[in-house]
Amino acid sequence: MFEAKGIRSGYSGVTVIRDVDLSVEREVFAVLGANGAGKTTLLATLARLIPLMGGEIWFNGRDVTKLRPWETAALGLAYVPQEKGIFADLTVLENLQVGAMIGTRSREERVDEIIELFPDLGELRTQMAGTLSGGESRMLACGRALMQDPKILLLDEPTAGLSPIYVDVFFEKIREIHKTRDVTIVLAEQNAAKALEIADRVMVLNLGEASEVLDAAELTTEKLKEGYRI
Amino acid sequence: MNLDWLDAFLVSGLFYVMMVIGLALLLHLQLGLARIANFGVVGFWGIGMYAFGVLFVKVDWPFGEVWAFLISVVFGTVVAGLAGLLVGWLIADLDIDGVLVGTLGFATAVWILATTEQDLTGGALGMGGLGFPYDIGSVKANETLWLVILTILVAIILYYVSRVHKSPYGRLLISIGDNEPLARSLGKAPFQTKLWLFAVSSAGMGLLGAMYGVNERFLETGNLGIDITLAAMVGLVLGSTTRMWGAAVGVALTVGLFDVVIQFYLPLPREWYTQAIPVLREMVFGGVLIIVLLFRPYGVLGDMRRDKLMRRMHGG
Ligand SMILES: Nc1ncnc2c1ncn2[C@@H]1O[C@H](COP(=O)(O)OP(=O)(O)OP(=O)(O)O)[C@@H](O)[C@H]1O
Ligand SMILES: [Mg+2]
Repeated sequence: MFEAKGIRSGYSGVTVIRDVDLSVEREVFAVLGANGAGKTTLLATLARLIPLMGGEIWFNGRDVTKLRPWETAALGLAYVPQEKGIFADLTVLENLQVGAMIGTRSREERVDEIIELFPDLGELRTQMAGTLSGGESRMLACGRALMQDPKILLLDEPTAGLSPIYVDVFFEKIREIHKTRDVTIVLAEQNAAKALEIADRVMVLNLGEASEVLDAAELTTEKLKEGYRI
Repeated sequence: MNLDWLDAFLVSGLFYVMMVIGLALLLHLQLGLARIANFGVVGFWGIGMYAFGVLFVKVDWPFGEVWAFLISVVFGTVVAGLAGLLVGWLIADLDIDGVLVGTLGFATAVWILATTEQDLTGGALGMGGLGFPYDIGSVKANETLWLVILTILVAIILYYVSRVHKSPYGRLLISIGDNEPLARSLGKAPFQTKLWLFAVSSAGMGLLGAMYGVNERFLETGNLGIDITLAAMVGLVLGSTTRMWGAAVGVALTVGLFDVVIQFYLPLPREWYTQAIPVLREMVFGGVLIIVLLFRPYGVLGDMRRDKLMRRMHGG
């Protein structure tokens, strides 16, 4: 469904992602890696926010290599960045509403669904998003992306900096989103243990190079530590 | 109609205030929502005024005055809108310094064109031959009716702005102004959204310019200086850039104070009005801009949105 072939990308001359292949289909796919491994760069490239230096990206049988971010978004790809995933000058409700520019279902219906998924957001409806706590803004960023009714959701370390209890709740939500909404999820994560709990398959990035794709069921954090030093 | 109770100068003072409110409302869409600081308001206003005036005066219209007038007004509006499209295209992806230079540069270009194209515009000497598309008796009556028409236009602009505030388009503009990288993945191209905004708001500014030209019955390059931009900007910033009523309140407090209250209701010596007051006005406007930006960056009405943020952060 979503496929990247030999992609390379980076920033003004610095190549960060080197010849990464990736193919995901109706699953939770985790991209693991230490700080600076290139997870954020990879996801931003897949969302077409960073230009490609090489390779191709295909989405639902369509070559999206040359598309702009709003075009891939319209095709059903939603992206939750690691930072600044919300619009601080809009209220919580308005943040959700701007997510509904894609798709045909009624805005209200979608908002209700998101609030059912993240009840806390319901209470915060009228609050300015810039005033939310870290965990609340993570939920909002995720909710906003889901408002787009995506077929694939790219999540960049959605739980970084959250308290352990929040982390657990959040990972459960991710699993739930995948199951109930039939959304393919690509999750960039440093927390290998949590990622293994919910992922179907795993890939490890190291200095921008990808490992082979591993089956999460056959993996343990120990094996990851030994084999991939994470 | 007996209009003796009405001072003709008051009518023209109110016209000016109302027009600046209209400009500030349009600037609010650009600056308050999309965070594009347009320092060339006078350029769009002026190009609308001159395009209207030149077409109306220089063409030998084969049909009635009223039709010629309406066509010319539409022409001025469209030319200003196209100028907005062009300038918007140039600046949409620039940062704040680029936008400043681009919009100021455009306003300067309009001034230079109006000054040098003497055959068309009359250059620095100006050009007459404009007038109201009706005659209901006295000059004062005509001007009063024109003020009423302008007020209706500004009310329409206010209504449009209020609609934008509540619409998906308005939320998109705020999103782009707030966090453009994220707004790119919302499904609408920010570049095109900004272009559309610039085209529409510039057309509105051009229409206001054309109406001003009619009210003056004369086109002068002297009007193309920084005054108009400064008046709209100071009013808006003083009121609140992000709130709809900020433009109206702020302009009333600044331009209204100088061009209506001080002009008509203070018993000041006559000679002050030609010498001291205009200088004082520019000084106060500049000072207000600096003071507001330093101490109350979201204007006297405050930024409802941000004030809430502050209250919460400080536990209020
Ligand atoms: N805007 C940029 N310009 C230049 N280099 C950058 C830029 N952003 C990231 N890099 C570099 O690219 C490399 C990969 O960064 P990236 O943010 O993708 O890592 P990451 O795996 O997401 O790390 P983390 O887990 O800390 O978020 C790093 O070496 C970083 O310094
Ligand atoms: Mg990262």
